[in-house]
Amino acid sequence: MTNFGPFWRTARQSPPPSALDARRASRTTLIVLLGPALVIYAAFMIYPVLRTFWNSVHVIKPHNVEAFVGLANFKELLGNDFIFWKAVGNTAIFAIVATIADVLGGLLLALALFSGAPFVRTLRLIWFTPVLMSYVVVGVIWVWIYDYDWGLANVILRSLGLGSLEQSWLGDPRTALWSVMVTHIWKWLGFNMIIFLAALYALPGDVLGAAELDNCGWFAKLVHIIIPMLRPTIVNLTVLSFIGKMMIFDLVWIMTGGGPLWSTETVSTYVYKRAFDWNTFDLGYPSAIAVLWFLIILAFIVALTRLLRQRDRLEF
Amino acid sequence: MIAPAAKSPAHNWAAHLRRSPLLAFMLIYTVISGGPFLWVAVMSLRTTPEIFASPYALPSRVHWEKFVEAWTKSNYGTYFWNSTIVVVTAVALLTIIGAMVAHCLARYRFRGNRLVRFVILSGLILPPQLMILSLFQILLEYRLYNTLTGLIIVYVAGHLAITVYILEGFFAQIPQDLFDAARLDGYSDLEIFWRITLPIGVPALFTTVTLNFIILWNEFLYAVVLLTEDDKRTLPLGIMHFMGSHQLDVGMLATGLMIAIGPVILLYALFSETMIKGMTAGAVR
Repeated sequence: MTNFGPFWRTARQSPPPSALDARRASRTTLIVLLGPALVIYAAFMIYPVLRTFWNSVHVIKPHNVEAFVGLANFKELLGNDFIFWKAVGNTAIFAIVATIADVLGGLLLALALFSGAPFVRTLRLIWFTPVLMSYVVVGVIWVWIYDYDWGLANVILRSLGLGSLEQSWLGDPRTALWSVMVTHIWKWLGFNMIIFLAALYALPGDVLGAAELDNCGWFAKLVHIIIPMLRPTIVNLTVLSFIGKMMIFDLVWIMTGGGPLWSTETVSTYVYKRAFDWNTFDLGYPSAIAVLWFLIILAFIVALTRLLRQRDRLEF
Repeated sequence: MIAPAAKSPAHNWAAHLRRSPLLAFMLIYTVISGGPFLWVAVMSLRTTPEIFASPYALPSRVHWEKFVEAWTKSNYGTYFWNSTIVVVTAVALLTIIGAMVAHCLARYRFRGNRLVRFVILSGLILPPQLMILSLFQILLEYRLYNTLTGLIIVYVAGHLAITVYILEGFFAQIPQDLFDAARLDGYSDLEIFWRITLPIGVPALFTTVTLNFIILWNEFLYAVVLLTEDDKRTLPLGIMHFMGSHQLDVGMLATGLMIAIGPVILLYALFSETMIKGMTAGAVR
């Protein structure tokens, strides 16, 4: 350690503190690491979103024929379009009923596994399987299950001697929406079950043990201890599930295409139809629907996050 | 999430008996959730006339050749490869680009940090429906409509937010000391990313890979809008198309469904816990 040089030499040898600060990165590093994402995002997320907003106040015909129409699309939508209101009603029923069923059903399944039943690991794997399958696969299978002649639903009813209850489940406007909903719930129950199960295992064991010592019945234990302690999970799943169902498209499109008689039309299927199936060839009007519906969803997200103070916890 | 050693009721017959409604319920739900897939698997090995004669019977003779026929004559081979190309490329890009962004957001203080985070994570609340119509126009203009490349880019853009969200949460927990030490040892910024963040982040990367793989393998809305040519179709579109044109050929449709769910079932059998973790990653607190 005889390295006593002039003072400026030692100063040179130790690099400036900023270069040693691992919290700082050079501009080049940032450009290399963030550049690709920001370019893709700008071109394929932000620009399309802005363009949809722009489209919503225009009439957009093929071959770049565009005309500014102001809020006419929105006026038509809110004032005259009974199919839109039918779609809003269906989507609302779907979002509310299926969300409640998903959350309660998932909780029920999780409690069944949590109660110390045998084969827990195998059962939860099987119960989760539908979550991994695509809507197309699930939809096709359930179209068969609902088939009037040989579908499982009617076959079971007939074998129980309840042949009078047999239905054209997806063909009857009275049952179609509920039938699609059952399929949707069936697909997602396992998802909620897994999350509830994780939350149940994370509960402090001493609290549950104390309840056991107090000779608390399982129902009292459920209502007074387990459900209050699961509140954050319940709230989270409810919001997540509700927002997801506000945008439901795939399953409805595959199983019924929105029919019969608009009985299963949802906002998203209606947007698709107006854009690509109807002979109006106008992208402006469906864009207006998409924008309006997005603003409603956004209002729900903001309201629910404010209400439940669960910032940064919402996604699709 | 491994089942704890719960008090086993097996030693107590009375308890066992009292629980039988519960056990019956669990058995029924197991049949309800798994049964339909078994049914399709059985149907995929039977011919359509056999199925119509008796929809719920076991195969009298196992028709493996139906898979060959579906693959070659009914175009499922093309759909399968299209799906594979799109999903593998998109997942690879998402993983690397997402990790790069997540590393920057978790590790560095820089001007615009919060803006970048806000912009990227805003993708979490932008529904596809809001972009799909203008993406249709934009891809037409960029000449990417009806191309797998276009679909891949759209998938990357659409799933970057959730990927970054999950990875950043994990990367932020890596101790800062490691990075300070690496910096002292003279690692460059990119070496730090490549040799510290990525290897340590492997579990989180697995999570996002499985999540993105499943969601994209099953994706329908973007694909149905952005692809129309038959030789570009991915599996979900191919099945829908086949259902539209051969609605009564239930046997061949079932074979097609098995081709679509085969890879998922295989991965699930091998990596069940990782896949469950991946699929629920965004929702668990």
